[in-house]
Amino acid sequence: MTVRVLLADDHTLVRSGVRRILEAEPGLEVVAEASDGAEAVELTRSVRPDLAVLDVSMPRLTGLQAAREISRRVPGVRTLILSMHDNEQYFFAALKAGASGYVLKSAADEDLVEACHAAMRGEPFLYAGVTSTLVGDFLERMRRGDSAPRAVLTPREEEVIKLIAEGHTSRQIAAELVISHKTVERHRANILTKLGMRDRTEMTRYAIRAGLVEP
Amino acid sequence: MPLFWRVCLINGAVFLLGTLALALSPATVSAQPLLSELVVLLLGLTVIVLLNGALLRTVLRPLDRLTAVTGQIDLRHPGLRLDEDGSGPARPLVRGFNAMLERLELERSTSTARALRAQEAERQRIAQELHDEVGQSLTAVLLGLRHAMDSAPEPVRAELDELRGTTRASLEEVRRIAQRLRPGDLTDLGLISALAGLARATSARNGPRVRRRLPTSVPDLPSATELVIYRVAQEALTNVVRHARAESVDLGLTLSDGRLVLRVVDDGVGIPRGAMGAGIQGMLERARMVGGVLDVRAREDRRGGSGTEVRLSLPLPRRAEP
Ligand SMILES: Nc1ncnc2c1ncn2[C@@H]1O[C@H](COP(=O)(O)OP(=O)(O)OP(=O)(O)O)[C@@H](O)[C@H]1O
Ligand SMILES: [Mg+2]
Repeated sequence: MTVRVLLADDHTLVRSGVRRILEAEPGLEVVAEASDGAEAVELTRSVRPDLAVLDVSMPRLTGLQAAREISRRVPGVRTLILSMHDNEQYFFAALKAGASGYVLKSAADEDLVEACHAAMRGEPFLYAGVTSTLVGDFLERMRRGDSAPRAVLTPREEEVIKLIAEGHTSRQIAAELVISHKTVERHRANILTKLGMRDRTEMTRYAIRAGLVEP
Repeated sequence: MPLFWRVCLINGAVFLLGTLALALSPATVSAQPLLSELVVLLLGLTVIVLLNGALLRTVLRPLDRLTAVTGQIDLRHPGLRLDEDGSGPARPLVRGFNAMLERLELERSTSTARALRAQEAERQRIAQELHDEVGQSLTAVLLGLRHAMDSAPEPVRAELDELRGTTRASLEEVRRIAQRLRPGDLTDLGLISALAGLARATSARNGPRVRRRLPTSVPDLPSATELVIYRVAQEALTNVVRHARAESVDLGLTLSDGRLVLRVVDDGVGIPRGAMGAGIQGMLERARMVGGVLDVRAREDRRGGSGTEVRLSLPLPRRAEP
């Protein structure tokens, strides 16, 4: 079954770049393009894609505002935010706006396809910076004794979590520990589940409790 | 009475006194002055000079004070004024001088504010262009390279991959420069999120741990005021990273008595007395621009710890009565 994608970005070159990447992937099909936030909301209502990929800074409605509108008015449609900002505040703002994930433009060539699949599975897509922020904060709180370890991590997971907290990407971790990229991804998913950050609601709740973002 | 006439009058009165003394007293001066006569003359002269000096002194002393104060005037520390009441006959001069200071300070603060505003506007324009033009084009290149890689023969592929790395690095650099020029999160997400992001970024750069004490929301503020708060927090945190050798910093924002107070408190070495560079200068000027008060000081806590406190206090805009 192919996933029907709507693409919104005010920059034509970026839009066609993203389109080519997505169309090269079997199972993804771009069915509509919008050049601003308001048009994206309109098109989402009329075309009913499965997934809307929204640039964060667009005229008329920003990507975040558009995501909020879409999740309110067309609740079945998943959304992904595409952004220049490597800043976890934007990421949490995206989750609060109802988006399933947040992809950095500087990593879009590698992450975008993966993020689309994750969104369709109903999992949040975390870019490397955010994972290391969350995990780093968790480790810090555990060291201070603020929060009892909620789950026992395996020694391998302990290794992975430290590297994540230091900001290494999955690929670097794979190289460091001489394991496959897939395995690292699996460890990462397991760790997040054990820490109570399995989906977007849990993650937002954790971030609020930890004071990383405002409620 | 104008100063000139005052001096004339004093001199005239003293001369008159001397003349009267000479005319009415039995003293005489011979054509060939005797020694005793010379002594009397000398005495009279001394009395006249002393009297004249004493009287003129009361008139002219405020002028000397004025001269001394003009040497100390430093428009970067406004608020210095001469005492008008205690300056007696020089009072009009002192009043004029004070009024001039007032005008100079006003002029300086409006022109500084104008310069700061122009600078921020220019920064915003450059950041916008970097972000919208350069950033987006680089994104397009990055995506294009990725696409080209998939269909390229093996040797070209490795080369394209390398180019992709370079493009990614440039894109991140552009983003960093744009963020420094103009905090995009401030306009997109609001003051609290932007301050939280600043705290995070400071900790992440191997800096001290930043503890946030931020309210969940603040009343609507003019965007110029929000930018001032953000810039003061940014400079204060930069200073902590660069100079304080601190382990932790508190970044706090509180609302009380109709005032908004930003505090950046570190536990480092403490700021030397009177330290002043472009950074602190900029904070002072920005604060003044929006009617706020900035205070930078070393602090000493009960347990003998030290550190620096930067405190910005701003009046909240009065809410329109319903
Ligand atoms: N938090 C602090 N702890 C200790 N010393 C400080 C702190 N903040 C400032 N200082 C001292 O005050 C001086 C002036 O600071 P200021 O920010 O005005 O200039 P600067 O940081 O040296 O340069 P710049 O113009 O780039 O900001 C610094 O050189 C430093 O010695
Ligand atoms: Mg400085």
